[in-house]
Amino acid sequence: MEDKLVIAGQHIRSRFFLGTGKFASYEIMREAIIASGAHLVTVALRRVDAQSKSENILDYIPQGSIIMVNTSGARNADEAIRIARIGKTLGCGNWVKIEVIPDNKYLLPDNAQTIKATEVLAKEGFIVMPYMSPDLADARRLRDAGAASIMPLGSPIGTNKGLKVLELLKILIEEIKLPVVIDAGIGRPSHCAEAMEIGSSAVLVNTAVATAKDPVLTARAFALAVEAGRLGYCAGLKPEQECAEASSPLTGFLR
Amino acid sequence: MKISVNGEEVLAQEPVSIATLISQRKINPAAVVVEYNGAILACCDWEKTELKESDTLEIISFVGGG
Repeated sequence: MEDKLVIAGQHIRSRFFLGTGKFASYEIMREAIIASGAHLVTVALRRVDAQSKSENILDYIPQGSIIMVNTSGARNADEAIRIARIGKTLGCGNWVKIEVIPDNKYLLPDNAQTIKATEVLAKEGFIVMPYMSPDLADARRLRDAGAASIMPLGSPIGTNKGLKVLELLKILIEEIKLPVVIDAGIGRPSHCAEAMEIGSSAVLVNTAVATAKDPVLTARAFALAVEAGRLGYCAGLKPEQECAEASSPLTGFLR
Repeated sequence: MKISVNGEEVLAQEPVSIATLISQRKINPAAVVVEYNGAILACCDWEKTELKESDTLEIISFVGGG
């Protein structure tokens, strides 16, 4: 069975997307990318200061990867647009994850500003993947603004709590005919599998992998769970039911 | 003269081009983007751009991020 993930006309070889923040070293990050088979990875932009690493992170990202700039640090649409343009100048291509966060305690995104930035950047030819709170009306607005996919959170960034907004995610997957990528909150392989079983197109994970005791092994475990969950979805899993249903024949008992 | 580099006010000796300032700071020029007074400046213009009093410079590079 052919089951390709295509976003903005591009085939993405793995449904496991990996963020590159918080790794102890660029070498470990690279190993985690390779071990997971991730094809799409995210990076961020920051001011260069005396503490900045002199190495270029791009040198550690395997050739052929799709590198998506995350506008993290943006507090409004204008800042997100500015960061996206800088990323493109740095040779990162057209992929941008719009992340607009005005709140530092829960790191929840500002959907209204995200929609505004999506509209501008999609018109400029960016492939826009907005990170959002799972709201159906806003998801429709993002689609209409030209988003290539939508990326609702499962739970707040870095909390490892999994799909706390499961019912809302199911609604977005049902209603929005764009790839839905669950981004944020995924903390263990079973969360990945669950995201894929409900029909998500992919997941994006960073903290849970980068801060694990063994990030390389964790990356692989997550990627395998993504694959397993996706196969389950494609296979057509039966829904839950209240009453038991025997798996052995109910005739010909030896009585 | 006083200029602003990455949000910090610094005293710079005139004349100084953006290319010189980048190399003085031991920054790998291939890994950064420069915003000069709010607009992205192509690296081919760094050499010929002399900094003036009150100029604002942002030097930005990729880092790990989710």
